Amino acid sequence: MDVTTGFFTQDLWTWWLAVYLYFGGLGAATLTTTFLTDMYMKPHKELVLWGAWSGIIMLSLGSSMLFIHLLDHLAVIHVLNPLVLFNQPHAWIAWGTQFIVWMMVWGFLYSLPYMLESEFFNSIPILKNILALPLVQKIGSTCGRHCRLCGWLATINGIGTVVYTGLLLQSFPAVALWHNPGVPLLFTVSAFSTAMAFLLLILNLAIKKREEDRPLRVFYERTDLMLIAAELIILFSFFFYLQRGSQSAAISAQLLWNDWGWLIGFIGFGLVVPFFLELKGVIKGWRSPAPIMLASVLVLVGGYLLRHYFMYAGVYARPW
Amino acid sequence: MTHYAMVIDLNTCVGCNACMAACAMENQTPVWKNKWRTYVHDKEIGTAEDIHRRFFPRLCNHCDNPPCMSVCPTGATRKMENGIVLVDEETCMGCGACAMACPYDARYAVTYSDVRQGREFFGEEAYRRTRPSMDKCNFCAQRVLNGRKPACVETCVGSARQFGDLDNPDDPVTKMVASGTARPLMAHLGTQPNVYYVDDLKRRG
Repeated sequence: MDVTTGFFTQDLWTWWLAVYLYFGGLGAATLTTTFLTDMYMKPHKELVLWGAWSGIIMLSLGSSMLFIHLLDHLAVIHVLNPLVLFNQPHAWIAWGTQFIVWMMVWGFLYSLPYMLESEFFNSIPILKNILALPLVQKIGSTCGRHCRLCGWLATINGIGTVVYTGLLLQSFPAVALWHNPGVPLLFTVSAFSTAMAFLLLILNLAIKKREEDRPLRVFYERTDLMLIAAELIILFSFFFYLQRGSQSAAISAQLLWNDWGWLIGFIGFGLVVPFFLELKGVIKGWRSPAPIMLASVLVLVGGYLLRHYFMYAGVYARPW
Repeated sequence: MTHYAMVIDLNTCVGCNACMAACAMENQTPVWKNKWRTYVHDKEIGTAEDIHRRFFPRLCNHCDNPPCMSVCPTGATRKMENGIVLVDEETCMGCGACAMACPYDARYAVTYSDVRQGREFFGEEAYRRTRPSMDKCNFCAQRVLNGRKPACVETCVGSARQFGDLDNPDDPVTKMVASGTARPLMAHLGTQPNVYYVDDLKRRG
C-alpha cells in the first residue's frame, strides 16, 4: 500500500505521565539504594527512614498522577489484584502496579523496626499510639528478625519499578523513540542517578552527620558520577540511532535536539554541569558541600526534564 | 473458522462521511466531541495543476497481533476467535495505554461526562453505555454475530468498504487480499492488521 505519511505527536500522556515515571523511578531507586546501603554498607536508621518514607511518598504522588487521569477510577481494582499478572503477564502497567504496591508494603515493613525506636515517629500524636499497639510491636520485631528478607523483597520490587518505567514506553511499537531497548536502560540509569542526587541532598541537609557519613557521601558521589557518564553515553547512542532509520525517529531527534530545554536544560545543566561539579569533588574535593548540593539539584531537575521531553517527542507515523 | 476482515477501496470512497454517521448512530459515539470509531481523512496530494483529493477512511484494524491488547493492564481488550478485537467497558479503567500503543489512532476516550451527555443525545432508554472506557470500532460485532454487515459497510454509497471472511477462499475480500490488490497498513510493525486498502494513486496513470 503506497501511502502518504503524516507525522504526529500525541497529547494523551503528557507532563503528568512524565511526573508518574519520574517519581516512580526516583522513589523506587531511593528506597532500594537506602536499603542496600543499610544491609551491606553501613546500618543507618535515619537514612532508611528518609529513604523509605520519601520513596513511599514519591511513589504515592506519582501513582496518584496516573490514578486521577484514569477514565474509570473504580476499575483500578482489576489491576490492584495480584492475579492480574496471570491474566495479563504481557502488560507492563500490570507488573508496574504490583511492583509499586509491594515495594511500598515491604519498604514499610523494613523501616518499621527503625520507626518503633525513632523519637520523631514516636512523637507524632496518633501515630505514636498506633506504634505502641502490641500487634504493631510484634510485626516490628518479626520484621527486625527477618530484615534481610524484607529488604530484598523491597529491593526486588524497587528495581522492578525502576525498570518498568522504561519498559512501559518501550511497549508502544509505533513510536521509534520509545520502542527500543535503550529506553529501559536510560530510565534505569537516570532513576538511580537522581536517587544518588536525592540522597546526597538528604545526607547534607537533613541528616547532617558530616564526618560519620563522609564515606557514604563519597560513595554516592562517585556512583552518581559514573551513572551520569553512563547516561551521557546512552544519550550519545540515542542521538545516532535516531538520526538514521525510520522517519519517525529522525523527527523525534529533530524535536529533541532542536529544543533548548532538552539541549541546554537537560543535557547541559542536568548532566554535563553536575558531571563536572562531581568530577571535581571526586578528584580534588570541595571545601564546601554547596557545589555537590547544586549538582544534586541539577540532576534532580534534569531527571524530570528527560521524561518530560521524551513524552512530548514521541512521533507516530500515520498513513494519512 | 471465521476470520473477519475489511477491504477499503480508496478509488471509490467519495468522502460523503455516511460511514461515520452510520457508525455513530449504531455505536452511539460521542460525536459532540468529534470522537468517532471510524473517521474519513480528507487529503490533497500533488501540486496545483495535478492535484488528487484522497478520502482515507480509518478504523480499528482488528490486528491479529494487537499491541493494544498486549499493553492492556486489566484485560479489558480481548480478541474473539473470529478476529474481532473487543473492549469490555466494565473492565477498562481508561489508562490510555491502548491508545498509546495503537499505530492506527483507533482509540478515543469516553468519559463520565460523555456518558451523561450520551443519555441526553441518544435518549435515556436507547443509550447502552453505562461506564467510561477507551472505545474503538468492534466491526459492529452486535450486527455481525446476527449475520449482518457492519453499519459503515452497509451504508457506503460507493461500495468502498467490503466486509468478508478471510477463511472463505471464495469471498471477494479474500481474493483481493490474496492477490495483493488490497494491502494492509504499516505491516512492518508486526501488528498483522485485518483492514486492507486498495490503492488509489496507481490507477491514475
